[in-house]
Amino acid sequence: MSTAALMSRRKGINQRFNLWILERVRQKRGSPELPFNLEYRHIYVMPTMFGFWFGILLALTAIGGLNFNNNMVLMLGFLLASIAQLTSLLAYRNLFGMTLLGFRATPVFAGQAARFTVLLKNPEERLRFAIQLVSRESSDCMDIKQQSTGRLELELMTTRRGWIEMEPFRIENRYPLGLFRAWSVIIPKARCLVYPAPVPHPPPLPKTGRGDFGTARKGEGEHLHGLREYQQGDPLGRIAWRTSARQQILYSKIMETPCEEACELNWYLLWGLRTEEKLSILTAWILRAEHQQIPYSLEMPAVALPTGLGEDHREACLEILALFEK
Amino acid sequence: MTSPSQKATWWVIASLFVAMAPQLVTMPIPLLIMTLLPLMWRIGAEIRGWKPLPALVRHGATVLALLTLYFSYGSIAGRRAAISLLTVMLALKLIESYRIRDARLILSFSLFLCTTQFMFHQGILMPFYGVITIIMVLVTLTQLHRNEAFFKLDATPLVRVSLFSELGFSLRLLILAIPVGLAFFLFFPRWVTPLWGIPEAMLDAKSGLSDSMSPGSIQNLFMDDSPAFRVMFDGRIPRPSDLYWRGPVFWDFNGQTWRGGFYGKSLGVASQPDENEAQWKYTVQLEPNERHWLFSLDYPATRPRHSRITIDFQILRRQPVTQLLQYSMVSDPVFVDSPELGVTLQNSALDLPVDSNPRTRKLIEGWKHEGLDGQAMVRRVLTYFNTEEFRYSLDSPLLGRHPVDEFLFDTRLGYCEHYASAFAVMMRMADIPSRIVTGYQGGWYNEVGQYLLVRQSDAHAWSEVWFPDQGWTRVDPTAAVSPSRIARGSLGALSAPRHLLDYTWLRSFRNGGDIVQQRWNDWVIKFSADGQARMFSSFGLERLTPSMLVATLFVVIGLFSFLLLPFILRVKGPDKKDPLRVVWLKFLKRLKTAGFETLPSSGPIELAHSAAIQLPGDSRSIHHIATLYSRSRYSGTPPPLRQLKDAIKGFHPKKNTD
Repeated sequence: MSTAALMSRRKGINQRFNLWILERVRQKRGSPELPFNLEYRHIYVMPTMFGFWFGILLALTAIGGLNFNNNMVLMLGFLLASIAQLTSLLAYRNLFGMTLLGFRATPVFAGQAARFTVLLKNPEERLRFAIQLVSRESSDCMDIKQQSTGRLELELMTTRRGWIEMEPFRIENRYPLGLFRAWSVIIPKARCLVYPAPVPHPPPLPKTGRGDFGTARKGEGEHLHGLREYQQGDPLGRIAWRTSARQQILYSKIMETPCEEACELNWYLLWGLRTEEKLSILTAWILRAEHQQIPYSLEMPAVALPTGLGEDHREACLEILALFEK
Repeated sequence: MTSPSQKATWWVIASLFVAMAPQLVTMPIPLLIMTLLPLMWRIGAEIRGWKPLPALVRHGATVLALLTLYFSYGSIAGRRAAISLLTVMLALKLIESYRIRDARLILSFSLFLCTTQFMFHQGILMPFYGVITIIMVLVTLTQLHRNEAFFKLDATPLVRVSLFSELGFSLRLLILAIPVGLAFFLFFPRWVTPLWGIPEAMLDAKSGLSDSMSPGSIQNLFMDDSPAFRVMFDGRIPRPSDLYWRGPVFWDFNGQTWRGGFYGKSLGVASQPDENEAQWKYTVQLEPNERHWLFSLDYPATRPRHSRITIDFQILRRQPVTQLLQYSMVSDPVFVDSPELGVTLQNSALDLPVDSNPRTRKLIEGWKHEGLDGQAMVRRVLTYFNTEEFRYSLDSPLLGRHPVDEFLFDTRLGYCEHYASAFAVMMRMADIPSRIVTGYQGGWYNEVGQYLLVRQSDAHAWSEVWFPDQGWTRVDPTAAVSPSRIARGSLGALSAPRHLLDYTWLRSFRNGGDIVQQRWNDWVIKFSADGQARMFSSFGLERLTPSMLVATLFVVIGLFSFLLLPFILRVKGPDKKDPLRVVWLKFLKRLKTAGFETLPSSGPIELAHSAAIQLPGDSRSIHHIATLYSRSRYSGTPPPLRQLKDAIKGFHPKKNTD
């Protein structure tokens, strides 16, 4: 059997084992109540592949030592076995008493990786070395100091808009020698909002509305916005001579144009396209309008939002798009 | 792929080097170079950032190393050769190891390599070698573990682990592991008989006296200061001139080399001394030499286990001695060995190659014409050695076709084997049956340990001649030339130091220090199924079955764990070094029992405010304590701790019933 085949087979066994454990946890424990304290019955300990290999080597050493009654070989072998056994306890102890405080996730666009932040607290007066979070797709690792909280991140690729559930993951560690792995399976109750993926090249913004208010566009215009220190390249006509004379430093005037534009992002404008395409275009429009600081309103079949601009408005609009018909 | 950090790579290289060091010392030079080259290359690659070698070069190096190995050892069947193979392969593995998996493979094999070295040496220094190797491997493994855990992160880990703490951690791990390791060592069922032995062909670490003697063979041993065996006497200790430790006996001489005769090895002894009349009772602790001979004083009255006694009183063990071996002996010096000797044996003790050493033959013929024979001839030859210009020396020149002639008439310079050989040849020329006995002579008596230490440098050769009714009689021609060799030992006989560090005081220091090694042998190396049984019988437990031993093992481990586990798994309480914090935590606990939940984020004053609102009845004392605490903690002139302690002692908040 080739090495690659052996590896994939090993992976298969590993995966099946992990699935089996996950199923057991799902049946016995389910999702944990937060905050969740890792206790004796939540932690599994098993040798790693390296641990197994090490054990085989030790067994061979012991057999040789017993056969020839070579006491030094036996002493060394038994000592190493004792050390190995001790590290299984240490791996367990490194996890024991950790508290899972909660999960957090900020919305992402479909096609991006959803990032779940996991808050892990170490309530005790000892350092936790190299605590790892491992999910199907990603992993993270961190030392968590005495009486402090670590934020670890797990990523999950998204493909469709809507809610995405966080996948089960393991809190694990192979401290201190990598001979044993202690781990606990967590089935989290956490989800992340996925916005539709914006189309890369949307049609131009439908600038049909009139903005009643909005942030002025800086740079050009007739209205004075403010002063700033002179920078090379500022036209001479912009220099605020009177202020500069008073302050002994050159100042330039910054001008602005009050915003007059606005756009109406309307579901019904996009006829003839499929739902997902429409949502992607609307998403791209919202992003572009935010980028250009043009106020926008959103009208959808069942709901409409008035003209607005800013983080909150954007998130409200995107959430409507993300959960449309879901 | 996950690769170890450079620091960890250094440690891998260092651990491997330490583990292979004892093996390196024994390697032939070409092979040593082949082993060190990959190591050097890897070090250079780490410093200079060399690219990995192409596969062709690596495979070429492997083939070259295998060829070097084969030609250095002649075969790869021996144990040294097999372990050298492992060593070379591990060194070669270094040049293609860029992954954590490879590093771990090298480390685990380093530990294995370390254990294999105990097959050859079990000296008192070996445990140190073992412990150093273990510590280094443990340090490296902790580093690799961190490398593996953090390999995905670009940022350095939050906690930087110093080398000092890594070393401390490894040492602690080792010490904590000792109780359970010791329990395994003492109670794990031992095998009474081995399942398999080492094939004779694999024994390649033979030391000490060999099965032949040619000029120079014992001289080489003179340079070797390692112990051959130790003897504990029960009762009277023989005089130094009686301490002839009998080993291989040689009958056949081909002009250059003495070998053990066919009859000497195959015939069993006809009669042995009576055990009850024997004078000397002693126990020998023989260091492993991978040979069959057991040593005893003349003439052994008993037979050690698993061995036989030949007609010339060699004690041959069935298996070669690969472990420290202890046997008890009784010897009777006044016994007469073979008062009658068969014709065949007589002939084989008289046989000489024809046409050799004509000058010696002439000398003996001349003496024979003078009418000398028997005892008189022996005396004449000894007088000849004593009165002529013979010198006892290590720097004997090489001898040619007629070695005895050249020795007797030209060089007159030699070590004990020259004299013994010349004497035996002269006796045979005078028709007196003679043979060569090799072994050890003398020893160093350790007054503290009350045992006799015999080193390889005490190796000696002497002759025996046979006369009717008197049997075989020991004649030591060396004593005629250099009486001090017998009286003061081999080292006293020569005035010049053997090597650079050969001082008398160092020698006596080494001899005295040997007691540590002797105790180590006694307590650790000798331990076996027998020792296990004896250990239990001293507690009144006889005949423990393996399952009972395992049960004992688990009970003992359970006991240890019971004592140790709370220590290992303890949850650290508040820092005892900070009394202020201890007192403050007490206060928080009281608040908690009163129903006030504290947030870890709030400071003392902020906490006091919200606590005072929830527990209005105790608001005054709460504020008082919080102010005291923050003053004690932060002010330049803190109030005495006593004050805060008392305030908290008297603080018993009433439970909020709202």
